[in-house]
Amino acid sequence: MTNVAITGVGQTHHARRRTDVSQVGLAREAVVRALEDAELTMDDIDSVVVCTGPVLFAAVNQPEKWLVDAIGARLKPVVRVTSGGGTGLAGALAGVNQIKGGFADRVLVVAYDKLSEGALQYSISTLYDPFWGREFAVGIMGFSAAYWRARMEKLGHTEEAAALVSVKNRKNAMLNEYAHVKKEVTVEEVLASRPLCWPIKLLDVPPISDGACAVILSSEDAAKKSEKPAWIRGMAYYSEAENAANRSMLQSEPLEIAARHVYAQAGITNPRRQVDVVEVQEPYTCFELSYYESLGLCEPGGAAALIESGATEIGGDIPVNPSGGCMGANPIGATALIRLAEVAQQVRGRAGAYQIDDAKVGLMQAGGGWANLRGVAVVSSTKG
Amino acid sequence: MKQSTQRVAVVSSAQTQLREAWSGQQHVDLITDAVTRALLGTGLTMADVGVVIDCGSDVLDGRSISNCGFLGAMGAHHKEESRVEEDGLFGAIYAATKVASGAVSVALVIAYSKPSESIVENYYATIAEPFYQRPVGLNKRTSAGLMASQYLAASHADEADLALIASHDWKRGSANSFVEGASDYSVDDVLASALVADPLRELELSRPVDGAVAVVLAAEPIARKLSDAPVWITGMGSSMESQFMAERAPGELEACAVAAKTAYRRAGISDARSIDLAEVSATSVAGEAMVVEALGIAERGRAGAAYADGSIDINPSGGAIPADPIMATGLVRLHEAALRLSGRAGESTAERAVVHGAGGLGMQTHSVFTLEV
Repeated sequence: MTNVAITGVGQTHHARRRTDVSQVGLAREAVVRALEDAELTMDDIDSVVVCTGPVLFAAVNQPEKWLVDAIGARLKPVVRVTSGGGTGLAGALAGVNQIKGGFADRVLVVAYDKLSEGALQYSISTLYDPFWGREFAVGIMGFSAAYWRARMEKLGHTEEAAALVSVKNRKNAMLNEYAHVKKEVTVEEVLASRPLCWPIKLLDVPPISDGACAVILSSEDAAKKSEKPAWIRGMAYYSEAENAANRSMLQSEPLEIAARHVYAQAGITNPRRQVDVVEVQEPYTCFELSYYESLGLCEPGGAAALIESGATEIGGDIPVNPSGGCMGANPIGATALIRLAEVAQQVRGRAGAYQIDDAKVGLMQAGGGWANLRGVAVVSSTKG
Repeated sequence: MKQSTQRVAVVSSAQTQLREAWSGQQHVDLITDAVTRALLGTGLTMADVGVVIDCGSDVLDGRSISNCGFLGAMGAHHKEESRVEEDGLFGAIYAATKVASGAVSVALVIAYSKPSESIVENYYATIAEPFYQRPVGLNKRTSAGLMASQYLAASHADEADLALIASHDWKRGSANSFVEGASDYSVDDVLASALVADPLRELELSRPVDGAVAVVLAAEPIARKLSDAPVWITGMGSSMESQFMAERAPGELEACAVAAKTAYRRAGISDARSIDLAEVSATSVAGEAMVVEALGIAERGRAGAAYADGSIDINPSGGAIPADPIMATGLVRLHEAALRLSGRAGESTAERAVVHGAGGLGMQTHSVFTLEV
């Protein structure tokens, strides 16, 4: 079974509304950049995996059927993987499997969403069961607030601790040329911002963006000519069936399972010590705190102390979201692949203004659904 | 598949009956039924399954990320799961690569549709890109009609050839106990049915039905334990055409031919006539004729003769014309072919099969599997 490397990445300049391009033009922009980065053309690509959020987001069913022409993929295998907000990682995993399973040597994974073209929370609301869930569940914010509320009591994930996530990530986004929102905030401003679904307040929430990301995956043979590949040392995407009373509200079990598998694949026993840089997909500030614990960056209940210590800032010992994370840009279908691209750029030494010194091992997390789909990947500058 | 990868076999599969409307059953009921029966008698349980890949449509389900609602029924709780929002045979490619890589030993592929709860033409119409294709009214029916006209113009085939294929499929479908309500239509019945998309008649378009199918794939060591004659996946290929109808070569399915060529190369098949059995998907009989030709089973424009000749058994299940569970159609074909090769459907001399799935407007994308016992 071959190793798989990331040999090219590209992303768009994200914005609230990209009126200069169509959906597929947006995705093409990222693809062109990824091909340039990898010094390849579409002729070198064996297979394409497309990822978007739910198709209701942008009202085009099976949008990969339109994208095929925009990216010059006619007559290649093209398939779309969709798994809610974490779909970019689910798609990358499909690409990794295509290479390891002998179906392709080079796979282009392209993920995008043009959220300005649809009604986001309305679309998300149709996630719930039409008979038992839709009557009272609106959008994704309600249950997220409930989870945070439970964690506040039991794990000490206070509003102040969550506000620090917003402060940190928005500060980091100032360094990111692709970020959509570049405005620093203070803890006081986050706490004073308008409650949307308490304890979630306006500044706990990332923006809604148009954007795309593309990643080129290569087999060991195909990566030989690459100057600086980022090797995928482990990758997994797990699900949790219940959206009901018997789910743990405190820790994300599918994330713990995914992390356990990926750490075993990558030989990581102490993530806090062995990982140099982390990117997580934080749909609300409170989730980043939760991920610290489920990823084993600290003990359960230790997240608030971890962020207060400054360890997850760019200068800290375990920087999280140096790119700004979702607070900088949140084109949902692309967000997970952006996290993967960002850690790849870190271990390739190409993260520019927010490069973490001597980063060799990167960890990323992504997820979607009703917080029940959770994935993890570890990339490294060495094959292992 | 490459030498460094595991051989993969279809070790079991099951489907629900395909009905115009499964009124008494919800999606979860259909999925549970297919999954439970696919595992039944194998000695495998959900605990042995390393990954679940599922194929359904948010648009047909009227639900965003609809896989979320069905994870329990699919047995995916706390497992690796991904949704391939395409015909089920594309999901089977994902699952097969996962097993081939050695990452898991057993994979479960599930595909389902319940079009009785949707407006099917809207599902197809919203696939058309919104600026140039959608405003002219392209949908399943119109795209199938245009393709059928092109097919007849580009070949020696005539409307009688198309009616022959339709009658063949309906007759076989009527004999298939898993297809509800398929009548034993003659060529005359087909030609007497209403003209719905010139030159296509009502009985020449696929009939949308509700249903679910589940297929269990396993790596060689497990496959050999479970069966004396495992059904091996020897080749897989996939290819997508341009969305724009005017960009496509008229009267043929180039993407289907590319997918077949890839699968045959991987399987070491140099002559498609060495195939005993074909299970193919289509949204119309003209589409089916073009698939049969793209697979190399018949020469260009001669698909009708291949059905009459019978040296290769084409769509013994009836195929997609009498029963098209949209997202599940290609995976039902894999189930039907594996069933026959394995002898699970009764004694069979067939040793080599080709399986085909398609998706999109005017069958824009294609996947092809080759199977052998």
